[in-house]
Amino acid sequence: MSDFTIIFRSLTSRLFSTVTTVATVAVAVALMLVLLTMREAGKKAFERGSGDMHFLVSADASPLVSVLNGIFYANPPRRPLTWERYQQLQRAFPWTYAIPTQLGDSYLGLPVMATSTEFFTRFQPNPGEPWSFASGRAFEKSFEVVVGSSAAASSGLNIGDVVYLTHGIAQSRQLGDASANEALHVHRDFAYTIVGILAPTGGSHDRALFTDVASTWIIHAHDVRKKADPAITTTTEADLTDSDRKITGVYLKLIAPPGSSIPTNFQQVFDMLRRDSSITVAQPGQEIATLFKIVSNIDRLFIAVAAVVMLSSGISIMLALYNSMEQRRRQIAVLRVLGASRGRVFGLIAAESIIIGLVGALAGTVLSIAGGFIAASALRDRLGLVIEPDLNPRSIVAVLLASIVLAALAGVIPALVAYRASVSRGLRPLG
Amino acid sequence: MTTPTRESIPSVTPALSISNLQFSYPSSTSLTIDIRVLQLAPAEQVLLTGGSGRGKSTLLQLIAGLMDPASGTVNVDGTDIHSIFNATRDRFRGQRIGMIFQTFNLLLGFSARENVMAALMFAGKSPAEQRTRAAALLDTLAIEGIDRPVDDLSVGQQQRVAVARAVACSPTLVLADEPTASLDPANAANAMELIQSVCHSCNAALLCVSHDPAMTARFRRVESLAALSGQAPPTTAGAAR
Repeated sequence: MSDFTIIFRSLTSRLFSTVTTVATVAVAVALMLVLLTMREAGKKAFERGSGDMHFLVSADASPLVSVLNGIFYANPPRRPLTWERYQQLQRAFPWTYAIPTQLGDSYLGLPVMATSTEFFTRFQPNPGEPWSFASGRAFEKSFEVVVGSSAAASSGLNIGDVVYLTHGIAQSRQLGDASANEALHVHRDFAYTIVGILAPTGGSHDRALFTDVASTWIIHAHDVRKKADPAITTTTEADLTDSDRKITGVYLKLIAPPGSSIPTNFQQVFDMLRRDSSITVAQPGQEIATLFKIVSNIDRLFIAVAAVVMLSSGISIMLALYNSMEQRRRQIAVLRVLGASRGRVFGLIAAESIIIGLVGALAGTVLSIAGGFIAASALRDRLGLVIEPDLNPRSIVAVLLASIVLAALAGVIPALVAYRASVSRGLRPLG
Repeated sequence: MTTPTRESIPSVTPALSISNLQFSYPSSTSLTIDIRVLQLAPAEQVLLTGGSGRGKSTLLQLIAGLMDPASGTVNVDGTDIHSIFNATRDRFRGQRIGMIFQTFNLLLGFSARENVMAALMFAGKSPAEQRTRAAALLDTLAIEGIDRPVDDLSVGQQQRVAVARAVACSPTLVLADEPTASLDPANAANAMELIQSVCHSCNAALLCVSHDPAMTARFRRVESLAALSGQAPPTTAGAAR
């Protein structure tokens, strides 16, 4: 027999109340942990997406829109850049790379980025971590496709599969949404072959498909030519004109001195590029920081709501224990008669409250793992944000401690009621 | 006839010694308890009678140190229980005083063994001591199913558990508050026999309060609350013990 036996019996004798109170705490803790985890993971996912580029040039309305569209595939950019403009940019400064990107097509709602082979050989999706292939290789010629890891998993595509791209992205966001896909134009005259599947990077590119820019120009030029002359059956690179050669963005990286990631001419180049009003120049890292600044208030609001839910769970502990006090006045009186001090009775009730908080917090931590995966899945499907919901040990410890402190505080009033309980009233015969 | 000198009488600490004890509830205009003297020798068994609502239960709680008097002293085994405070008093009560109630007041949801072990735990006994002592006591009192919740035991078995719990810590004094009030005469006699015999074998003094006139026959010494308060002459002794 120990104090724990008394606490355990007390908790199990009111099993329904105990379980529902623990569940309330668990949900509150899970909500808080999921929000904290997703905030951190989301920030990391955004940071990962921009890779090692210094600038993103596009014709989008603003640098932030440019980053959201050009890196996170939010929407197909509406305004293109000419190939000539790209070549001017390429020649303007000594770049480590100047990689053209063209967005606008999709496959089963997954975005397709047309780019150059440098995207795989020079651009690093995570700084210091080049691309690696789970299977196959990079595209080497037109109408070959490389599939991101998440895209391969969701679409079931494998090496050697043949696919037809769809013009547009947004409306066909939902995988398998046949009616949405039918409303869009499918480039049925040109078959693409899957030649490579990328290993996961944890970034937004995991959910995209990649092909070369030339094949994209060809399928769109073919549409234009066929509209003008329905008798045309095929289009090749030789048929392309300057007006067909369009891109939507350029990934740029300056040459940095050895041992430094920041080039000496970084600011100078940025300022010079910005002078050209026909293009939008974005520093992805800065834009992501801006984005987080914008959403930080909403973020705080969510955390505040989760804190209120946690507080409510504390109140529910207090109510559950407080309401049980009337039923337990006899038990408390008997314990006092048997030699339990007021302090010990106080401790028993407070410990009961803390145990509810602790068990609820542990259950909430387990629940938050499942919640994290559900939230990550929703973010990936709806926003295209690839998030790894890793629970931060510091967050877990902080939330566990907060739960225990909250539960201890919630137990104070019921424990005081027990502390002050009248023994003579408690021992009075019933009826 | 010679009168024994003070030195020739063996000095024995009374199990209970009350002097000038006064208590009244805040809402009451008169004293609920007003006892000049009451002493119980070690292992002595006394019946305290009094009508309903005359303060018998209040007196037991004053003796157990669960309430504080307005004035006077209550010595249990030589210690003024009201001169010690808080946890020390509670532990003293757990070690020296056993209590038996009309409705048993067992810890519901706990087994018979755990009910007895709880008394031993609060008296500061180790878990090993608790188990050994509880098992031996419950075996002596022929309690069956000692690991079953007391809620599942018969009334008779529950009463035995209550008695076992009261004497678990080998107390100096057992206080019984109307222990047979809810029983029929036959069962009341059996219950009282059990309580008295167990207290006798444990060498514990017994102060039993009751308003049942039939109980007087079971005790050699019977006191009335009114007489102790100087309101009526003391009643005569009974027969049994």
